[in-house]
Amino acid sequence: MRLLLTAALRAGRILLLMLLAGAGTILLVRFAPGFFSDEREMDAKYAQAVQTELNQETEQAQSLRLIAIREVKSWLHGDFGESRQYHVPVAELVGARLRVSGLLLGQGLGYGWLLAFCTALPVSALRKGAQIWGLPFTILLAVPTAAMATACILAETGGPVVVLSLLIAAREFKFLRSLLEGAWHSPYLLQGRAQGLAPQALVRMHILPNVAPQLGALATLSIVTALGAFVPIEVIFNVPGLGQLAWSAVMNRDLPVLVAVSLLMALVIGFAGMLSTHDFTLEAA
Amino acid sequence: MKGRIPVAILLLLILAAVLTLVLARYGYEFQDRDAIMAPTSAQHLTGTDELGRDRTVRVAAALLIGLTGATAAAAITTLIATCFGLLAAFSTRWVAIALLLVSDLFLSLPWLFLLMMARSLLPLTASPSETAVTTFLVLAALGWPACARAIFRGAVQLRSAEWMIQGHACGLKTRQLVRLHLLPHLQSLFLPQFLVCVPAFIVAEANLGALGLGVGEPMPSWGSMLLELDNSALLARSHWVYLPIVLLVAVLLILESLTSKVETNA
Repeated sequence: MRLLLTAALRAGRILLLMLLAGAGTILLVRFAPGFFSDEREMDAKYAQAVQTELNQETEQAQSLRLIAIREVKSWLHGDFGESRQYHVPVAELVGARLRVSGLLLGQGLGYGWLLAFCTALPVSALRKGAQIWGLPFTILLAVPTAAMATACILAETGGPVVVLSLLIAAREFKFLRSLLEGAWHSPYLLQGRAQGLAPQALVRMHILPNVAPQLGALATLSIVTALGAFVPIEVIFNVPGLGQLAWSAVMNRDLPVLVAVSLLMALVIGFAGMLSTHDFTLEAA
Repeated sequence: MKGRIPVAILLLLILAAVLTLVLARYGYEFQDRDAIMAPTSAQHLTGTDELGRDRTVRVAAALLIGLTGATAAAAITTLIATCFGLLAAFSTRWVAIALLLVSDLFLSLPWLFLLMMARSLLPLTASPSETAVTTFLVLAALGWPACARAIFRGAVQLRSAEWMIQGHACGLKTRQLVRLHLLPHLQSLFLPQFLVCVPAFIVAEANLGALGLGVGEPMPSWGSMLLELDNSALLARSHWVYLPIVLLVAVLLILESLTSKVETNA
């Protein structure tokens, strides 16, 4: 019963987060200068009377309440409205690009974490020289995503997955190293070493189970990092994914697409946060 | 001693940039039509870009604009975070919950996406200096939640300190307690939070600029200078095209080492 209540509360939190994200996007776009400009206004063939009608139409469309109602209706309908720039249902646009971005994010996160963890584990056990081993990650951290992506294109090596993986690895290495350093120097591990346990056994039996909850929280942060970074990566590499769609929606002030992407991001982050929460895992067990 | 080396290098870079701008024969927007994509020469030490603008002057201006803008934005963000954190710590439970929910919302959505949205929805007909101010103001307006969380945690811990209770018992109002006692105690939190924001804002501006949403032309910025790397004709002519990215990475590494030092000391 308690488990159900906790799950319901967490689901409610995700829903609230999504609602706030949707409302925030609508508010931001509603008050953006020039958002409601209509290209027909610039056409000389339209008479003054038609221009007045256009102005009245715009005034009606500017009502925050009407925009919100229209957006909610489109969510309930399931098509998330019609894109202003492509004139097709947003669900259709997002659906086609979801797989591309999902694959990029999944691979980037997987390889990034593998690289960061496989380097941080031995480096954190070192008594000297840990700073030197960590230097490549520090340098990577100082390179903006866009510059990294451009460098890959110039060098004709690597692609979006490599850039995202390197970015995730650079961000997580620092945290993983300090987390694992703490674990390597804990008293129970010293005891295990003194008893002659092999490093592999120490990692499998003592280090990993102890740092698992923190790793979960770190993974959630990685998802947020990856969701932020995949926009410039997709734009620069011309990947037809959600990031590119979001960028083009931002440039063209396409409110229905922006709201849909914001909701999707809030949903993914909310779920990731829910799954990584320590007490939820314990209760479920 | 070690901690002073990054500061000294940074100050030298700033001094060099200021001297370059003061002694330069051209402004950063001056187009030398006879020297389009020119290589290194006595007139243009690191060559020119596709519009014939002197690269040394533009890089120096980009460094100063980036550092000044990011520092100002970091100061504003720290101020907003301080007000927000203290308000959440010393208000009623429901107000605190609402405030923390707002910060959670900002924290949970990808930063660059939010920035991109906020920056692109601003006026289309803005001057370069207005776009620069707007870009850094947007950075300041969106960068506060993590910092506010840290200040909130610090304030909540100190709220029940003995000297706070003593102050209350002596009849001091909350506002006086915060101003006279709490803020000095929280000072060790402000500097690391401020320093973390500076490189983060420089990177964010560079990423925004590379997407065409940063500081407007002809004003130079790290982001707009990164766009030069897309020009293959320019790349084939001169290796000085890589100067902005090399300098940007160097500045970020210096700031990173400075931040780590301050965090360790705190």
